[in-house]
Amino acid sequence: MPSDLSSLVHWILFLPLGAAAISALFLRKQGTLAAWLSTGTAFAIAGLSLKLLSQDGIVTWHTELAKFGGISLGFGYLIDAHARLMLFVVSFVAAWIHLFSVGYMKEDAARGRFFAGLSIFMFSILGIVVADNLLMTFIFWELVGFSSYMLIAHYFDKDFAAAASKKAFITNRIGDLGFILGIAMCLSLYGTLDFVALKDHAAAAKTIPVAVGALLMCGFLGKSAQFPLHVWLTDAMAGPTPVSALIHAATMVAAGVYFMARVSFLLAPEVLSFIAISGAGMAALAGLCALAQTDIKKSLAYSTLAHLGIMGCAIGLGHPALALMHMAMHAFFKATLFLGAGSVIHGCHHEQDMLKMGGLLKKMPVTAATFIAATLSNCAVPFLAGWYSKDAIIEASFHDGKFAIFAFLALAALATCLYSGRMIRLVFLGEANSEDASHAHESPWTMTLPLVVLGLVFSVGGGFAAHVLIPASSLQPIEHALGEVSFHLAAPSTIVGLLSLVLGFFGALKFYGTVRGADALQALSPRTYHLLEHRWMDGVYRWYIDSVQRRLAEFIAFLDLLVINGFAVRWLGGGIPAVLGYLTGRTFHRGQTRGYALWIVLGSLFLAWFLLAR
Amino acid sequence: MEHTSLAHHLILAGLLFALGLTGVLVRRNLLVVYMCLELMLAAATLALVAFSRFNKTMDGAVLVFFVITVAAAEVAVGLALIVALFRKRGSVQSDALTTLRD
Amino acid sequence: MPDGLFLFFAALTLGAACMLVASRNAVTSAMGMILALVGVAADFFLLDAYFLGVLQVLVYAGAVMVLFLFIIMLLNTDDPEGAYPWKAAALGLAVFFLLGAGVLWLFHWSGAVASTPAGATPPELSDLPKVFTTSAKSFGRLLYTKYLLPLEIAGFLLLVALVGVVSLSKDSTEENA
Repeated sequence: MPSDLSSLVHWILFLPLGAAAISALFLRKQGTLAAWLSTGTAFAIAGLSLKLLSQDGIVTWHTELAKFGGISLGFGYLIDAHARLMLFVVSFVAAWIHLFSVGYMKEDAARGRFFAGLSIFMFSILGIVVADNLLMTFIFWELVGFSSYMLIAHYFDKDFAAAASKKAFITNRIGDLGFILGIAMCLSLYGTLDFVALKDHAAAAKTIPVAVGALLMCGFLGKSAQFPLHVWLTDAMAGPTPVSALIHAATMVAAGVYFMARVSFLLAPEVLSFIAISGAGMAALAGLCALAQTDIKKSLAYSTLAHLGIMGCAIGLGHPALALMHMAMHAFFKATLFLGAGSVIHGCHHEQDMLKMGGLLKKMPVTAATFIAATLSNCAVPFLAGWYSKDAIIEASFHDGKFAIFAFLALAALATCLYSGRMIRLVFLGEANSEDASHAHESPWTMTLPLVVLGLVFSVGGGFAAHVLIPASSLQPIEHALGEVSFHLAAPSTIVGLLSLVLGFFGALKFYGTVRGADALQALSPRTYHLLEHRWMDGVYRWYIDSVQRRLAEFIAFLDLLVINGFAVRWLGGGIPAVLGYLTGRTFHRGQTRGYALWIVLGSLFLAWFLLAR
Repeated sequence: MEHTSLAHHLILAGLLFALGLTGVLVRRNLLVVYMCLELMLAAATLALVAFSRFNKTMDGAVLVFFVITVAAAEVAVGLALIVALFRKRGSVQSDALTTLRD
Repeated sequence: MPDGLFLFFAALTLGAACMLVASRNAVTSAMGMILALVGVAADFFLLDAYFLGVLQVLVYAGAVMVLFLFIIMLLNTDDPEGAYPWKAAALGLAVFFLLGAGVLWLFHWSGAVASTPAGATPPELSDLPKVFTTSAKSFGRLLYTKYLLPLEIAGFLLLVALVGVVSLSKDSTEENA
């Protein structure tokens, strides 16, 4: 292992922290400077990650920060093939998102804060990627939570943004509680938190306790927005669009998938099957829910949920490498979709309702072309990036004989094509449905260039690029996973994929052209639409908080009133001084400093007497 | 020097402490109360130095060093508090501060 | 019978302290405080603690009391006009005599202190090496060896106090507006 690679990782990890510190401390008012500093840093990191990607071997570096008894708090890097790929995807996509933000946030007064936030987000996510032990992962995991909170709440003076950021933070916290319990359990069972050492332990042990995997999975459920903790993701759209792209495409939600892949050896079979089933179910359901959203960003958010379900499913099926590959491909095309949506919103004067758009193909040709390319990749058109990973996962489910999961995934594929077709039809085809859409204009180059690079080059050619860019050893686990599934034209996944593509995509294009200025499904069957639009889990949580948690809290408050206030305070703490006060003719509790001082003096005199006269 | 004993210094320290305590208990002006607190601290340091001298160790004297440090920090914060209080209430009389009663 | 210098400074200290406690004018009180602290410093000198004496004068008379005077003049709050609060004064006298009697009993009449001759060490300390030097150097040595952690903590405390004072005295414009 060449020693200079670890210093490369130092640079990758700490450059964004430095940029964030400089922006936060000195460039709060110089937004433009902060923007370019942050963007330059992001591109530097992307370049360094590309260099790292072309290296072979595993980079390890470790230093001990503190030691408590037998517990070592370490800080170190473990860069294996997965980490290398993830590092590249994260930094590369994020760099283009940074560039996009330069244009998108041009008129924002708080750009310094925004770009400092982006940089600290980069720092946090890169920390998760390179971490070599669970505790370091957890620390950066929390940093990701914090920085996403900060970014979602960028428009903190808007109530919905503040509420959405709180929701994201709290939901993640619930998952993280399980995560840290899982870490504690690892520590007590194996005595170490180091990934390599844990892997040895897990390999040596015959069975792994279900609880370890289940608890660690909680963190994944929160961060990757898996059922039942998925509720925060759609609300997180309250942040600026580049933030949505960053959170949904490259970083936050990917962190959970990446983490699960990293600790996949700790997951018991029961945990895996839970992840697989819930992932597949969520993939299908979220895909359908995307049909009932008129906000372009919310629709995309449900699409992300669907893809996260697919990734979770791949992990559950025991193919973490496939999940990672899908994560990478998804990062490319979903970032393009979000950035494209941002460009559309920017062009339509901050109109987010798809029903009010339309006919943008001619007005925003670059955006439209890249968006459509990314959509096709999203629908897994053969030989585009999404096809390589998504169909591989569907095929893997068939190959493993999990037909229920296969059915769900097929439904998800169909739903994907449906909402993609709907989106294209409503936004880019037809006639403009509002004043804003008819005056739409193409965005500046800082916004279109990332779209072209991410959309046309990577969403389309990501699969090919992966073969060219990544050295064979880095790709090996993925190649291996791909090799396990038979991959040919007559494979069930290919048939299902093509069928859903033709049926879904073109059906949607046709179907949504029938009604103008309204949603065709809503017009046809309002009840179905409502069924999909309604946020059932939010209702469940509300019921839980209102009916269970509040009742419990009220009960505890009653106990507090009865025992603490009534008995302890009034009787002991309130009763004795009251008697004394009555006897001495003055009340004890007069709120006068001198009175309190007197009692202190008397108390210490008593204490001194007690100690001296012993 | 040969004629003073430990007891003499302790009596001086004790009386000084008593004076300071009296001031804390009877004075209303918070600033004066604060000075009286400082006086009590000084009395305590005097006792410490005396003990240190007559027991022929340095530890008491070093402790005095820390007491002076802490007292300096305390004065800074306390005076800032008094100023903030004055800004808010317009008075530094301790009798005016009875919010804690309720 | 103690020597004259001690008696003089003891009288000065106590008298100044009386001035501090009894005066109605805060500035007079502060003056009394300065005198009392100088008296204490002089007593430090009599006890061979020269370094501490200098420190006492520097820190208290030089810094702390200047701060006090500054604040007194800034706030400009004397005690309310009117008749001298005889009741409080009587109460104070009573408290002082009680406490003073206690002190005298503890240190003089009870015989607890007198039974230990000057310069003698309590038996449990007698086997420790006796180190008492007047030089500031030995102070520094102790501070950076045996008392290193307390020293660090004291430094940190000063930092915290500094930050606290800055944030306390910051004029919160939202409130005033």
